[in-house]
Amino acid sequence: MSARPAALSAPERLPEPAPRRRRAPARERRATAAPYLFLAPAMLLFTLFLAVPIGYTVYLSVRGTKVSGLGLGKGARREIFTGLDNYTAAIGDGELWAGWLRVLGYGLLVLAVMLTLALLFALLLDSARVRLARFSRVAIFLPYAVPGVAATLLWGFLYLPSLSPIRQVLDVDLLGTGTVMVSMANIAVWGGVGFNMLVLYTALRAVPSSYYEAARIDGASEVQIALRIKVPILLPAIILTTVFSIIATVQVFTEPTALRPLTNTISSTWSPLMKVYRDAFVTGDLYSAAATSIVIAVISLVLSFGFLRVVRDRAYGEG
Amino acid sequence: MAATTVPGRTAAPRASRAGAVVPTAILLLGALYCLLPVSWVVVAATKSKAELFSTSTFVPGTGLLSNIADLAAYRDGVFWLWLANTVLYAGGGALLSTAVSTVSGYALAKYAFPGRNLIFTVLIGGVLVPAVVLAIPQYLLFSSFGLADTYWSVLLPQILSPYGVYLARIYAAAAVPDALLEAARIDGAGHWLLMRKVALPLMLPGMVTIFLFQFTAIWNNFLLPFIMLGDDAKFPLTVGLYTLLAAGANQPALYNLIITGTLISLVPLVALFLTMQRHWRTDLAGGALKS
Amino acid sequence: MRMNRLAATMAAVLATALAAGCSGGGSSAEPAPQTTTAAAGPVKLVYWTWAPNMDKIAAAWNAKNPDIQVTVSKQAGGDDAAAKFLTAAKAGNPPDLVQAEYQMLPSFVAADAVADLSAEIASAKAEFSEGIWRMVTLGTEGVYALPQDSGPMMLYYRQDLLKKYGVEVPKTWEQYAQAARTVREKDPKVFLGTFSSKDPGAFAGLAQQAGAQWWSIAGESWKVAVDDPATRKVADYWGGLVKEGVIDDQPYFTPEWNKALNDGTLLSWPSAVWGPGVLSTNAPKGKGKWAIAPLPQWSEGENFSGFWGGSSTAVAEKSPNRAAAVKFATWLNTDPEAVGMLVSEAAIYPAVSDAGSRLGSAPEYFSNQEDFWQQATTIAATARGFTFGPNVNVAYSAWKDAFDKAVRDKSSFSSALATVQESTVADMRKSGFQLAR
Repeated sequence: MSARPAALSAPERLPEPAPRRRRAPARERRATAAPYLFLAPAMLLFTLFLAVPIGYTVYLSVRGTKVSGLGLGKGARREIFTGLDNYTAAIGDGELWAGWLRVLGYGLLVLAVMLTLALLFALLLDSARVRLARFSRVAIFLPYAVPGVAATLLWGFLYLPSLSPIRQVLDVDLLGTGTVMVSMANIAVWGGVGFNMLVLYTALRAVPSSYYEAARIDGASEVQIALRIKVPILLPAIILTTVFSIIATVQVFTEPTALRPLTNTISSTWSPLMKVYRDAFVTGDLYSAAATSIVIAVISLVLSFGFLRVVRDRAYGEG
Repeated sequence: MAATTVPGRTAAPRASRAGAVVPTAILLLGALYCLLPVSWVVVAATKSKAELFSTSTFVPGTGLLSNIADLAAYRDGVFWLWLANTVLYAGGGALLSTAVSTVSGYALAKYAFPGRNLIFTVLIGGVLVPAVVLAIPQYLLFSSFGLADTYWSVLLPQILSPYGVYLARIYAAAAVPDALLEAARIDGAGHWLLMRKVALPLMLPGMVTIFLFQFTAIWNNFLLPFIMLGDDAKFPLTVGLYTLLAAGANQPALYNLIITGTLISLVPLVALFLTMQRHWRTDLAGGALKS
Repeated sequence: MRMNRLAATMAAVLATALAAGCSGGGSSAEPAPQTTTAAAGPVKLVYWTWAPNMDKIAAAWNAKNPDIQVTVSKQAGGDDAAAKFLTAAKAGNPPDLVQAEYQMLPSFVAADAVADLSAEIASAKAEFSEGIWRMVTLGTEGVYALPQDSGPMMLYYRQDLLKKYGVEVPKTWEQYAQAARTVREKDPKVFLGTFSSKDPGAFAGLAQQAGAQWWSIAGESWKVAVDDPATRKVADYWGGLVKEGVIDDQPYFTPEWNKALNDGTLLSWPSAVWGPGVLSTNAPKGKGKWAIAPLPQWSEGENFSGFWGGSSTAVAEKSPNRAAAVKFATWLNTDPEAVGMLVSEAAIYPAVSDAGSRLGSAPEYFSNQEDFWQQATTIAATARGFTFGPNVNVAYSAWKDAFDKAVRDKSSFSSALATVQESTVADMRKSGFQLAR
């Protein structure tokens, strides 16, 4: 039984260039105003709180300050138009590219481990046989709820040589040059696996169980049902979860920032977004920060669309 | 537990005894991995000042009550004010966010209209620009409307959640059968009624997830309230606790209070999670029965 | 053609809001901020500070001054606190008064965020020492804040353990290095001290002690000398000790550092007068075991110290109540009652010259050293500072990166210093500052 429920994948897939109209064309044709009204609040909020600030960020990115003389006293500092200077500086900054390389390695590690675990946990939670599911669900989600303010302290106690319980079992410097990336990835996986698990789990819960019954009657094992039916159903959710995770990884900031006070292996520009933060909040160069963050946004865009293209060709090529 | 309540799923027969061990073990391992660092917060909150940096990491201390008392007494109980503010920001923000996301996701999933994919892509595209850089422009914007340093300045920007919209779309597509909508429409239901009476009940588990995510995200958001708020009586917990951590170059950080505060701030989140998770048990196959 | 109309509306909204956003952010020609003062009622001032219990001190003022009411809003300290104030100032609604660390003050001045108070508070000058006053004038004609607290540096050491290892309290840095070696020989688990690559402020203080002048003003241009000979001497000294392995290289203020202070595996800490607060909170087990002495000197017979930390009270350029704000700031930092409260409530070492007389008995943690404050006051008189430049944040950030790397690779500290100098100069040149030489 090829059980790929048509209703589930029907109007819904990935954002594709052409709108899909498959079902109930009559309703759609008459319903022109309703969807726009439903979307109006979101669009309004988007415009006010995202589009406008983004526009302002773009504006800032082509500006800079110029001081004269000592730069003290009234009017000594002016804001000027600098054209693409901030962008050329951002693109020509070797440290930024080194940051991209570090993030690439880190990102592959985090994405692979975190998403695999999230999928595994979601499938296990959804399977009928598991005990203590409620407990596991809360436990795995809990790290997402730990506020960042406590992060440096928390990981300091777990990673620093003289305090770490891990060190007592395993003799490795968890914050050394070679290991710090793994330690950092561990924080990201720990914090993110529950979130992604819940996304996938919720998507699974939306599937009427009747889809599986037929397969069960045919004698399919739980593992077979998971791999042959549930994973294909989850595919759109998995893909978009991956896209969001890619974007989040490109913007990695929290984890290295939490570890930075503890070790001298993480520079203030370890990841591109850390450089943005440093420019905007420490050295006060909002203009460079704006330009760099536009570059980051563009790279996230390219990566996520690149990924979408690849999976679309693979997964949806068949039809 | 899900197995006992959802009739369709109890069908899995016999093999379950033996077959349950491995999956349960894997999940428990995952739970352990996630809980271990969290349990440090619990253990550390029990340690007194003298114990925190001197006793072994996972050995409980004797100072929990005095830590809580110190925290409650800190600046005449400003901690509780921060907690109340956080509940307001997270509760209000997450409610509104869930409403906006659900309605948008439903429209995007169940209507085909010109510009659908453009709007979706644009809304989702919001995550591309990092919050770190948006915070300052958002502040300048609010301040030009005279709204900086108000509750609104923290509440409003967190209502739109690209992730929420995306989840709602996926969820509406999966949980709301077109046939059901069509049937209700033929019965004469308008767009609004169709959404409220047919779609929303089916989307409830998804809404719960969105609410939980957004609630937690706002609960833990730091940068936006940090920049927006000057008045410490409007601070949420994250910013408030940060004033204890970064107490200034010449003042010691109040570690015990921060850890205890973190622990207390986890309690409402866990409680919320526990009370809301029963909504995931709703069996969505119900849709088929109706039509 | 619904979409077109929608798009057009969106574009219009975006354009207007964008324009509003820009004008709100850009110019200094903004009209006065919205802190409206009702003509009849009292003047209301908002004060951003991170010092503890400042609200109690403000309450004492409010009780006596019904026409000038001060509201304290307790903020977080640190680098991003400065960014927050600068953003608020840029948007046109800063608090009336703000706590400003000395090293951040020049960037506040350069951003035109704090007012020149020279007309209003010239008389307060007599209350402060020359060196501290220079921190708020930046060596110019202006006065940009009132000094509040200062951080003269001294050597904190474990009295009992130095005795145990048979080490005298070092009087020179030479002796300090020797003591570090001795301690390592006697017990390989113990370090005499650590070099923190996360605390440029501490390093700046040690450089000041050696006579460094990182920034100075010559006519209409800045002179930057982060890698001057005095600083290079300090850098190479610590670099040598780290390389030799007789000094630890873990940063200050981490959980591990706290533990080391607590369990007696770290025996000394060159720190500032505010050290007791940190020690008593983070190393409660060391109570009654730590003591202070003057910093070791570079050559025998010398007697110098430097500053680590310290802050001032500045008035925002856009505050509509400058006169009232200055009045409060002056009271807060010079009035005997207020200064007494700064000591007892806010636990700071006040910047006024006769601070010593207000200090009372030794902190409880230093019950073993009854003359703690007398010692501290004597040391404070020997502290010399330098003028901070307009981009200390850039220099400090570069310092952390460069010294992190130097510590990690055990490479030359003076070449790390050269990197800091380069970054600092490059940043100033990029902004258009006039540079000497």
